[in-house]
Amino acid sequence: MDDATSSGISEPLDLVKLSLGERVFIKLRGDRTITGVLHAYDAHMNVVLSQVEETIHIVDVTEDGNPLPPAVDRRNLEMLFVRGDGVILISPTQQ
Amino acid sequence: MSGFFGFDTALPERGAQGGAQQFQGFQSNHVDDAFALGGNGGAGEEEDLAVYTWGEGGMGGGGLMEGNDDMNDETFGADLGEISNNFQFSSQPINNAPTQKYGQSTGTGKIASTQSRYKPKPVADPFAFSEDDFYSSRPSTKKTTSTKAPSRPKPSTAQSGSTDHLWNKPAVSSPAWGTAPSSMTKPTPPPSAPYPSQSSNQAPPAPGHIKSLEEIEAEMAQMAMPFTSAAPPSQQQVLSLEEIERQMMEQMEPPRQGTPQQPVPPREATPTQVPGLAGSGYASQQASLDSMFPELGKGALSGGNQSTPGVLPGQLEGQNQQPQPTQQGQQVPRPSPEELARMEQLHKRITSKIESMSKYNNLMGSSDKDFITRIQLSQLATADPYTSDFYAQVFSALKRSRIIAESGQNENDQQTVVQVGAGLGLGVGGPVGNRFGKMGQNTMTKLSTQVKKLVENRAQHQKVTNTAALQGALGRVTRGNAAAPRPVLAIPTSNKPENRPASQLNHQTGVHRAALTKKQVMFALEELYDAILELEQMRRDAPPPTAMEEIEIWHAKCQAKVDIIWRRLMVMEPLDISNPHPFISLVNPVKGQKLFPRLLRHLPHTQSITLLSLLIATYTQLDVVSRAPPPPVADSSLLTKADRLDRAKRENETDNFLQFIIPGVDMIINRCGLGLVAGMLAISAQRSEVWKVASTRPGVALYTALLSKAQSIIRSPVPDPMNPQQNQSVDPAELEQWSKTFTYFLHVLLPHLPELFPSSVAQKAAFGPGAYLLGGDSISEKDGLEMERREAEVWGFVAVLAVNAAEEDQTNLVGALREKILHTVQSARHPTISPQRAELKLRNVNMFLNGLGLDASMIE
Repeated sequence: MDDATSSGISEPLDLVKLSLGERVFIKLRGDRTITGVLHAYDAHMNVVLSQVEETIHIVDVTEDGNPLPPAVDRRNLEMLFVRGDGVILISPTQQ
Repeated sequence: MSGFFGFDTALPERGAQGGAQQFQGFQSNHVDDAFALGGNGGAGEEEDLAVYTWGEGGMGGGGLMEGNDDMNDETFGADLGEISNNFQFSSQPINNAPTQKYGQSTGTGKIASTQSRYKPKPVADPFAFSEDDFYSSRPSTKKTTSTKAPSRPKPSTAQSGSTDHLWNKPAVSSPAWGTAPSSMTKPTPPPSAPYPSQSSNQAPPAPGHIKSLEEIEAEMAQMAMPFTSAAPPSQQQVLSLEEIERQMMEQMEPPRQGTPQQPVPPREATPTQVPGLAGSGYASQQASLDSMFPELGKGALSGGNQSTPGVLPGQLEGQNQQPQPTQQGQQVPRPSPEELARMEQLHKRITSKIESMSKYNNLMGSSDKDFITRIQLSQLATADPYTSDFYAQVFSALKRSRIIAESGQNENDQQTVVQVGAGLGLGVGGPVGNRFGKMGQNTMTKLSTQVKKLVENRAQHQKVTNTAALQGALGRVTRGNAAAPRPVLAIPTSNKPENRPASQLNHQTGVHRAALTKKQVMFALEELYDAILELEQMRRDAPPPTAMEEIEIWHAKCQAKVDIIWRRLMVMEPLDISNPHPFISLVNPVKGQKLFPRLLRHLPHTQSITLLSLLIATYTQLDVVSRAPPPPVADSSLLTKADRLDRAKRENETDNFLQFIIPGVDMIINRCGLGLVAGMLAISAQRSEVWKVASTRPGVALYTALLSKAQSIIRSPVPDPMNPQQNQSVDPAELEQWSKTFTYFLHVLLPHLPELFPSSVAQKAAFGPGAYLLGGDSISEKDGLEMERREAEVWGFVAVLAVNAAEEDQTNLVGALREKILHTVQSARHPTISPQRAELKLRNVNMFLNGLGLDASMIE
């Protein structure tokens, strides 16, 4: 069965295809991560997600250059288009 | 190209040229000196200095030039030394031309003459004549130059010989740099060429100087030039620009020479303006532009200087229109001034746009263009335009049908895809004409044939490479190589055999496998989706009903596809092959659930029955049953985040199951006879713990569907319109089988009946303060209503139970549910409950009681 599975996978993006309609985790540039249900993607890794939770990791720096403890900002979005040039990784979520 | 840089930076007029060029000049002047002094003892102007080419100047010059060469690379780019003999002029950076001229003109004679030997002759050749010309025209240039054109196309080698003479001799008045960027690229035909005498006689007027009409007339009289087209200017106005141009070309004598001193004549032999090239590039652009605004052209003609039709209207206004207002006013009935101004504005904008782009004219050779076209075409080409453009197609179809419905017009435009040959096409939606706009039908067909050829080539090529692909069968992984490059244009050739190791394994009995992994499931689902999409597409492409044999072929094809799908569904795997069964694995994810109704549409009746039996037999393996969402808790803050997400996911799966699968199940059940229904209920009762299944929403839905179908068959054995072959009367044997099965089912279920209700489950699951909260009905109104809605599902189920049950069983049923009924009715009458919820509660209870001929109002 594993052979049958891998026979149709010829390029990395075919693996992303398997996650269509599923919740995926996406790491983005700018210290952002996103989880959401993957609806569409293309060769540029542009993706469309729904039920998105975006997490932004912020490290503020005081005026004399000392970093403050990292903060996390979250927001929820119903539907989101993510431009592919910011995508670092896409992975299916656990469970 | 030393002279290139030798121009005199001290020229005051050049101030505006920009720092880079000045720097260039500065640098190279010094370098030239260095050459003259160092390389050959200072005497070398006529020596062969070819060793010191510019490209290696920095190194080859040795210590002498160190100081000045540092920036050469930065200034000229590193590839200066690589200039070969055969570079193409049209694609050279345009800036080179002017600078070279400057260098030649401003350098000392010594250097200039050195220079002519100094580099390989062929390189210099293209500029040779212009160099000479340049000298002759240079003085005048200086006079008029005030600004430099930001970029100046260079003369084309082939033709500028003649044109340069045409232009540069009279160029006394046509300063190479003095022109506004706009006028220099004007496609004005060469009308002024034959009039060098008059213009060269006089010093060019200051740009602001405008001759009066009398002066001009006097001049014309002096010239005694016959007016070949004797018509007064007013009549010229009807001519379009192209016509005028043509006339001029033919006669080589302009029809009129309004103001020879017109300060904007200068034109340069840009490639597009060379007469031989007329009609290419810019000229055609301009022509089309003018054809778009014919009246504008006329306006410009009538309003201003007629010998310069291409001059910007703005310039005309500024320079020429003022002295001739009367002429203007008399001659043409013109559109309103604002209108005209607007048009002119537009014209100006477009012209300047075209100009700004025109410096790129002829940048690409025809092979470049071909290359790009190929790329574009390969992206357009698709073996199956319909599916690759599916959403656009469906959308446009919907939109068109709406438009047609609204306007009530005829439906003659049914074509949705640009068809290119059989099975091939350009993946575009919408009507052909609109899509390709001005390109026209001709271009379209050309494009089509090109695409067709391309696709055919590709297909042929693939045939070859396909056999080559067998080489990899021994286990070597072949990436692209020279013999079998990775195809850029991939035409899917789907002739690989559908082999499923799993189904081969199944021929042996008693095989037990591990359940499909998540990845396998996802992969199988994607394959299924592909197959379904293809099948749906196939169904859409049904041949006309008259073509009998085509229809047969089409049917066979569809059937083959359905078979493939059926195999991929893995329904025929043995029941116990794995837990969960492969098919159940497929419908566990939401993606698979969404596929279900689309699948059912294509499956024949027997197969769907098989599918349903399998589903019912393995119902407990369904995620939505085995991992049914837990009862709600009073306070969701007690949950961890992961817990909450998990709950949400399970709820979502359940909702989707009810939305996508249950309707399909209902549909299949509705086509079943009583015997089948009884059989299915028996399967479920045998293979699963009925009360566990029934305590989930999917279970309740399934049983409700089965029982109500059975009841409707028993009560009113009307023939199903979908199934006319079904027997009118209920087979007594079937009836008996049913009542047996049902009695067994009911007796298994009866002790657990109250536990089926979500409210009971919730109350049971709750602990601590939550139990009180739930008992006190203090959950939020929204949750409460949702709870009632779910209760209704179960009440509906028990109502069907009641209807099906024999009389003594009905009593048992009421006995088992007495508590629940009383509690519900009481809470519905509780003063704190909202009327909405109370109504729901009563309706729920009545659903059950009415089935027994009772009513909630009878309860005290």
